[in-house]
Amino acid sequence: MEQFLQAAVIGISLGAQYALLALGFTLIFGILGVVNFAHGGFYMIGGYVAYSCVGLLGLPYPLAVLIAVAATAALGWVFELFLLERLIDDHLATLMLTLGLYLIVSNGLLRVFGPLSMEFSFPVSGSIQFGPIYVPRENLIVLGICLSAILALWLVLFRTDLGRALRALADDRQVAMAQGMRPKLLFPAAFALATGLAGLTGALVTPILALSPGVGDPVLATSFLTVILGGLGSLGGAALAAFIVGIVEAYSSVYFGGSIGALVLFTLVLLLLVFRPTGLLGREIRGA
Amino acid sequence: MARLPLAPRQRLLAWDEATAIAVAVVCFIIPLLTKSVLVYSVLNHALIGVIAAQSVWIMLRMNLLTFATPAFMALGGYTVAIAGRYEITDAFLMTAAAFLVPALVAVPLGALVLRLRGTYFVLVTFVLSQIMQLLLFQTPDLTGGSNGIAGIPAVTLFGTEMISHRQVLLFACGIALIATLIAVALTRYFRQHFAAIEENEILSESLGLVVWRYKALGFVVAAGLAGLAGYSLVNMLLTAHPSSFDSAIAVDFIAYTIIGGRESILGPIIGSVALVYATHAFGTQGQYAQGLYGVLILVVILVARGGIVGTARLLWRRMRGPRA
Amino acid sequence: MSELRVEGLAKRFGGLRVFQDISFSLEPGGLLGVIGPNGAGKTTLVNVISGRQPPSAGKVFLNGRDISGQPTHAISRLGLSRSFQQTNTFKSVSVRENILRAIRFGQRGMPTGLEDLMDEFHLTERLDEQSDKLPYGLQKMLGLVMAYATSPSVLLLDEPAAGLERVERNHVDTFVAHARSAGKCSVLIIEHDMDLIRRLCPRILVLDAGVLLADGSPAEVLARPDVIAAYLGDSEEAH
Repeated sequence: MEQFLQAAVIGISLGAQYALLALGFTLIFGILGVVNFAHGGFYMIGGYVAYSCVGLLGLPYPLAVLIAVAATAALGWVFELFLLERLIDDHLATLMLTLGLYLIVSNGLLRVFGPLSMEFSFPVSGSIQFGPIYVPRENLIVLGICLSAILALWLVLFRTDLGRALRALADDRQVAMAQGMRPKLLFPAAFALATGLAGLTGALVTPILALSPGVGDPVLATSFLTVILGGLGSLGGAALAAFIVGIVEAYSSVYFGGSIGALVLFTLVLLLLVFRPTGLLGREIRGA
Repeated sequence: MARLPLAPRQRLLAWDEATAIAVAVVCFIIPLLTKSVLVYSVLNHALIGVIAAQSVWIMLRMNLLTFATPAFMALGGYTVAIAGRYEITDAFLMTAAAFLVPALVAVPLGALVLRLRGTYFVLVTFVLSQIMQLLLFQTPDLTGGSNGIAGIPAVTLFGTEMISHRQVLLFACGIALIATLIAVALTRYFRQHFAAIEENEILSESLGLVVWRYKALGFVVAAGLAGLAGYSLVNMLLTAHPSSFDSAIAVDFIAYTIIGGRESILGPIIGSVALVYATHAFGTQGQYAQGLYGVLILVVILVARGGIVGTARLLWRRMRGPRA
Repeated sequence: MSELRVEGLAKRFGGLRVFQDISFSLEPGGLLGVIGPNGAGKTTLVNVISGRQPPSAGKVFLNGRDISGQPTHAISRLGLSRSFQQTNTFKSVSVRENILRAIRFGQRGMPTGLEDLMDEFHLTERLDEQSDKLPYGLQKMLGLVMAYATSPSVLLLDEPAAGLERVERNHVDTFVAHARSAGKCSVLIIEHDMDLIRRLCPRILVLDAGVLLADGSPAEVLARPDVIAAYLGDSEEAH
């Protein structure tokens, strides 16, 4: 029973992290039609920026996280505005551009910081006991911030003019443009919002998991898994799928060990892609 | 009828296809000329890259970008490794098996995934190569799991064990030549069909072209070629290991093809040779090459869509332009 | 027996109804016009009949054979060919290669009088030009010629005159006449150009908001108050 509850806690905190990553990824796909292969790259940049601020500049960790968010958002903005924007309607080309960016980012980090894992740990440690189970404080804090960020994103998208404009662009670009929405301003904003979320996740999670130039690959794979499961472009679906993926991963590693959980999830996703590309929640997708 | 000749000049081979085959043939001479370890290593890696990149290229002829190459390479490579356990090492038999096993797996798989286009196809192939990677870890009895299969016996050709460095390289040349011949034969014979699908699938279908048939054919042959690349890789390492078929290597083959140029079969060949050479030149472990690939991909997508071959062709035409 | 027969055809996207309960038939060698305001579902009707999208309900018969839900290439090979509202050619290759591909993919050999049609549109002297370098009007004509080059028995033309200069619109008349006389095709033509419809079609259907509003001769149908009302406020139709 304790093991069962412990796994649930791990699953939920993983789910919250995945949700932040997947929301950004699916936002970019939904609004711009871009499959962002660089998503794991922004996650890594977030981690390394936070690491540098704390380890090299001696800044307090919360400030380092904010700087990481700002840096990844700014980089995302610039990348969208100057590179992606030029080929925005050619989906294979934009995909290749993000792939190229990812290669440059991960290799750049490798050159600057070397191949080894960084000594980067969460500033808070210890556990809180809830009845029979122990929850590490760091996980609780990260969970809290992730849930707050998801709430904030929801407020931005559903309660502000910017959000309304972004959702209108995601629904139907032609109609939105006819109504005076300006993709030239909104696309970079959406991309920056999404990469900022990836940066936030990286800054929060890498001190707990690991920080090395290879950590972007599994992040990308998990993002894919989650957004396809949730239905490409669907925000609610991505959030729901993130928690499913997190919980399945936690339970399968506790009870089965190894990668059988991932195998089941990936196979499920393959079948979903082929037979029901609208995902779990069944939202209509663009460009199909 | 006389005014609309139905058959325009049909050539057996275009200049680039002939050049591709000639390059593959000339490779046989290199191991006979030198014993340089560097040359051997670069050439062997490049030959494997050439085959895998041709597999990517065939799919790109139908506007499909595939990340599934490592999965089919693994099928070909592990087929040979597992046969080696039973002392089956005959070169002809194993070449056929390394092509056919992935090709046969691609038939039902193609029926599933070829329903998707564009970015959805990219995603599904990415998922496929993840699944293959996980499957390798989950089947230790068959594939050795995370340890892989080591100590694979050398290939035997006409009863001779191809064990020396030179023999291994010559064998790699042979596989690459076969792969190039297959790729040229397929894309030459069906070039109008592939070209029509690449440019305008909807119009092609509406004119009566059975698009799925050519896509399936291309997918199956591309899988077979990837299997040959896997064979060549396993034969070079004498080991089949999951890390050799990591989904990340798909990116390398895509980079070779895009940077070399997707419009001609010379593209994947020149791209592989140039980038494998650059990788070796950039560092002993090639770990800094990824950044170079990234920069070159950006350059090709943003300013030189034809890649190396396309840009060279463009410059050549421009130079000759004023006189013509 | 009719060449093309549509029975109770309906198309929905999710909850959105595009059209419903569309029934009509087209006689061998016949010519039928379909008009309707923008958004009436005309192009989707062509897409569904030609197999681009599956119908939600209803059936389509070609020469008495049920073709509903069959894939585009199969329907095309059974002899139903369509043209597109926008220019739609293989852009990077020559006019010759475009026409050759249409003949080859259609697999029914050389259609009667194809050269005459190409002469008529001055495509013969531009055989070696890249198709997207042609003027817009000629690209659309090339699209029609390619649909004809598959030797169809039924042609669906989706707004062939859209985007053409007034003087070029006569080409559509020529094409339709040629396809019917030399090619023995039945033709279904969707068009906004009322003059063209009046000139060509002995019978028209009016589609409005996804339902069949009227069916009859142009003079009779276009005088009906409900048809006029359907067009009121849709100023784009005024030309």
